[in-house]
Amino acid sequence: MENTVVEMSMQKALNRGLDELLTEDPRSMIFGEDVGGLGGVFRITDGLQAKHGSTRVYDTPLAESGILGMSIGLAMAGWHPIPEVQFDGFAYPAINQIVCQLGRMNYRSRGTLPMPVTLRVPSFGGIRAPEMHTESLESLFAHVPGLKVVSPSTPHQAYHLLKKSVLMPDPVMFMEPKSRYWQKGEVDTENPGDLEGSVIAREGRHLTLIAWGAMVARCLQVAELAEEDGISIEVLDLRWLKPIDAAGLAASVSKTKRAVVVHEGPRTAGLGAEVAQLVSESCFGVLKAPVERVTGFDVPYPSGDLEDEYIPNIDRILFGIQRVLEYRRG
Amino acid sequence: MTDAPRLEPHADELGTDELLKLYSLMVRTRQLDVAAIAWQRQGILPGYAPELGQEAAQVGSAYALDFARDFAFPTYREMGVALAAGVDMVEYMSTHKASWHGGLWNPAETHVAPIQAVVAGSVLHAVGWAHGQTVDGTGNVALTYFGDGASSQGDVHEAMNFASVYKAPVVFFTQNNGWAISVPTERQVAGGSVAARGAGYAIPSIQVDGNDVVAVVRAVRAAVEHGRAGNGPAMVEAMTYRRGPHSTSDDPGRYRSLDDERRDGGEDPLNRLEATLREAGALDDATVADISEQAGEFVEQVRLGVDALDARPGTEMFDFVFQEPTEALAAQAANWREESEHV
Amino acid sequence: MAEISFPLPDLGEGLIDATVLEWLVAVGDQVERNQPLVEVETTKSSLELPSPQAGKVLRIHGEPGDTINVGEDLIVFEVPDDTAGIVGTVPKEAAPKRRVRLSANLDED
Repeated sequence: MENTVVEMSMQKALNRGLDELLTEDPRSMIFGEDVGGLGGVFRITDGLQAKHGSTRVYDTPLAESGILGMSIGLAMAGWHPIPEVQFDGFAYPAINQIVCQLGRMNYRSRGTLPMPVTLRVPSFGGIRAPEMHTESLESLFAHVPGLKVVSPSTPHQAYHLLKKSVLMPDPVMFMEPKSRYWQKGEVDTENPGDLEGSVIAREGRHLTLIAWGAMVARCLQVAELAEEDGISIEVLDLRWLKPIDAAGLAASVSKTKRAVVVHEGPRTAGLGAEVAQLVSESCFGVLKAPVERVTGFDVPYPSGDLEDEYIPNIDRILFGIQRVLEYRRG
Repeated sequence: MTDAPRLEPHADELGTDELLKLYSLMVRTRQLDVAAIAWQRQGILPGYAPELGQEAAQVGSAYALDFARDFAFPTYREMGVALAAGVDMVEYMSTHKASWHGGLWNPAETHVAPIQAVVAGSVLHAVGWAHGQTVDGTGNVALTYFGDGASSQGDVHEAMNFASVYKAPVVFFTQNNGWAISVPTERQVAGGSVAARGAGYAIPSIQVDGNDVVAVVRAVRAAVEHGRAGNGPAMVEAMTYRRGPHSTSDDPGRYRSLDDERRDGGEDPLNRLEATLREAGALDDATVADISEQAGEFVEQVRLGVDALDARPGTEMFDFVFQEPTEALAAQAANWREESEHV
Repeated sequence: MAEISFPLPDLGEGLIDATVLEWLVAVGDQVERNQPLVEVETTKSSLELPSPQAGKVLRIHGEPGDTINVGEDLIVFEVPDDTAGIVGTVPKEAAPKRRVRLSANLDED
C-alpha cells in the first residue's frame, strides 16, 4: 500500500487542499486581497494563480464588503467561491453582507439560490499582530442563522475540513488558527477519518477539556502536565462551532463527569457559554461540578506585549481545572 | 484622469408595437400599484412600497433586458420591473402580504432576484453574477436597481469600482425619484447627480428623463449592448419622481406639500406615453378603454390570488435555512412541532 | 522553518513551458531578492530569472535541457517561519511552563 501520510505545516496543507480543489472542482474560484501573485498575506494561496490562472485565482480591490457581496452573486451564477479576508477583524466591514445576505439568501430564495461559499478567515491571536488582526469571531458567526462555522486545529484537519467545506452547498466560515499555520503535523491525504462533529484529541478519565482552533494544542500540553499530577484529562476538539456536536460533548463528559471549556474570545456570550449549556442539558445528573470557562476577557484584544496575559495560558487552564476538581456540592 | 465617458442612447427608435406593449405593461403596473395601496387600507396587505410615478423607469428598464439570459436585482420598490419580467404577481405581492420575505417566485428560473430589504444590499450581487458571466463567456448582463438614497451606501461605491476593475457586464440603474423617505436628493446626493459618479470609475453613464419610457428603453438598451459586447459596466440614472409615500406607513405631509408635489412631480409617465401614441394615431379612446379593462381584470385576478394566500407552513421556517440541515435545527423544528400551535 | 516555492511563471503571453539552460544557484545557497537564479529558454527568448525573494535554496527542479511546465515548481526556498506572513511573528514552540499544580481527591469517583 502506498504511504499517503505526509508531514507538512497547516499552511502547506491548506495550500495543497486549495490546489487540489481548483483542479477537481472546475467551478471553484479563489479571490481576495493579495491572494494572486503574492499568494496571500499568509501564503495560503501561494503559487495557485501561476498554476491555475488568473480567472480562477485573483486579487480584488481592497473592500471586504465587495468581496463577500461578489461571492454571493458568483454563487448565484453557479460558482463555488472561496473568498479570503486577510484577517479576522477584516470581516467586520463585510458583516452586512455576511449576516443580511450570505446567511439568508438560501432561505430568502426558498432554497433556489444556494450559497456554496467558503469564507477563509485567518483567526485568533498569538502572533503579536496589530489591532483588528487577532479577533475571535466564532460566537458572532455561530449566532447568524444560515452559516456553518468550523475551525481546524491540525494540518490534517485543515486539509480535509477545507475540502469538505468547499464542497458543501451551504456557506461555511472557515476559521484558520493563524498561530498554528507553521507547525507541522502528519496529513493523511487519503484517509480523512470522520469529518463530522468533534474529535477526541486525547483520551482521559477525570475531566474533559473542550477547545477549538489554536487552544487545542495548548490543552494537549495542559493534559500532559496534569498527567504528572495524576489527573487524566480528555481533550475534545470541537472542530465544528456550528453545528456543535452535542452528542460528542455528552459522550465525553458523561464519562469524565467534569468539563472545562477554553477559548480565546471574550467570556460574555462567548461560545463557551453555549458549550456549557449543552453539557448541562445532557450531563446535569452526572456532573461533579458546574462547567468551568477559561477564556479571554471582556476587553478589546490587547497589544502583542499583553496578549499572553489575555489568551488562556497553561496556568489559567490549570486553575480552572483545579476549581472543578475541588468543587463540592452544598 | 480620463474624460467622463458618456453613454449614448441606443440608435434604434421604438416601433408602435413596442410602444403599445410598454403602454399596456405600464397601465397594468399603475393599476396594480393603486390597487395595492387600497389593499393595504383594506387590511389585505400589511404594507406596501408604492412606485407611483416610476412606471416608465421600471417597465422601460426591464423591457430592455432579455430575461431568458439576463438577471435583474431589484430593491423592495420594483413591482413594475417584476411585472414586465413576467414574474407571477401573486407570488410577487406575497412579500407585501408577509408570506415570505423574498417573495414566493423562483428567482433562479425568472432571473429576478428576491426582494431586497437592505438598501443597496444586492448591488454587489449583480457584480458577482456578472463577473461569473464574463468568466463563462456568456454575454449575459446583470441589471441592478438602486435609488438616490441607496447611492449613499458604501456598497455602491465598492460595486462600481469592482465592476469597472473586472469589466463586469453590469447595468447600474438608478431611479432618482427625488426622495429617500423624507430626505430630498439635494441633501442626499453630493453634486446632485448619481450618474456623474460614473466618471470616477470610468463607467460610461447617462442621465435620462425617467418619465419618458422611450428614453429609458434606449438608454438601457445601450447599456446592455455595452455589457454584452464585453465593454464592462454602464450606468443609467433615470430622473423621476416618487409621487406617493415611501411606503403605506409614511406621511409625506410631514416633509413636503401638495404644491411641492405638483411643482416637482413632472409629467405623468403614463399620460405622456398615451399622448405620444394618440398623436401617432396608434391609440384611440376605445383601445385605451380596452387596455384599461384588461388591466382591471388582471388586477382582480391578482387580488383574488393574494387574498387566497394562506400563511406558509411553519415548517418552512426550518426547511430553507440550509441546503443540508443540521441536527440541532431539526431538533428545534421537532420541538416547535410539539409545543406550538401550528399554521 | 517554512518552505516557499517559486513556480515557473508564464514568461510570455500564454507560454506553457520553458527549458532550463543553466542554474546560477545551488541547493544550500543563501540568495537575495533579485539575485539571478537560473537561465531558461522559452519559444520566444532566453532569459535570466531573478529571485522573487531572499531565502535558502532547498530544492531546484530540472537539469539543464529539461523542460519545466508553467506553474510547476522551479525552485523551493526555505525561509524562517516568521518571515512567511505579512504581519506578526510566528510563536515559538517552547516547552510548556507552569506554576500551578493540581491536587484532587478522586476517591469518590
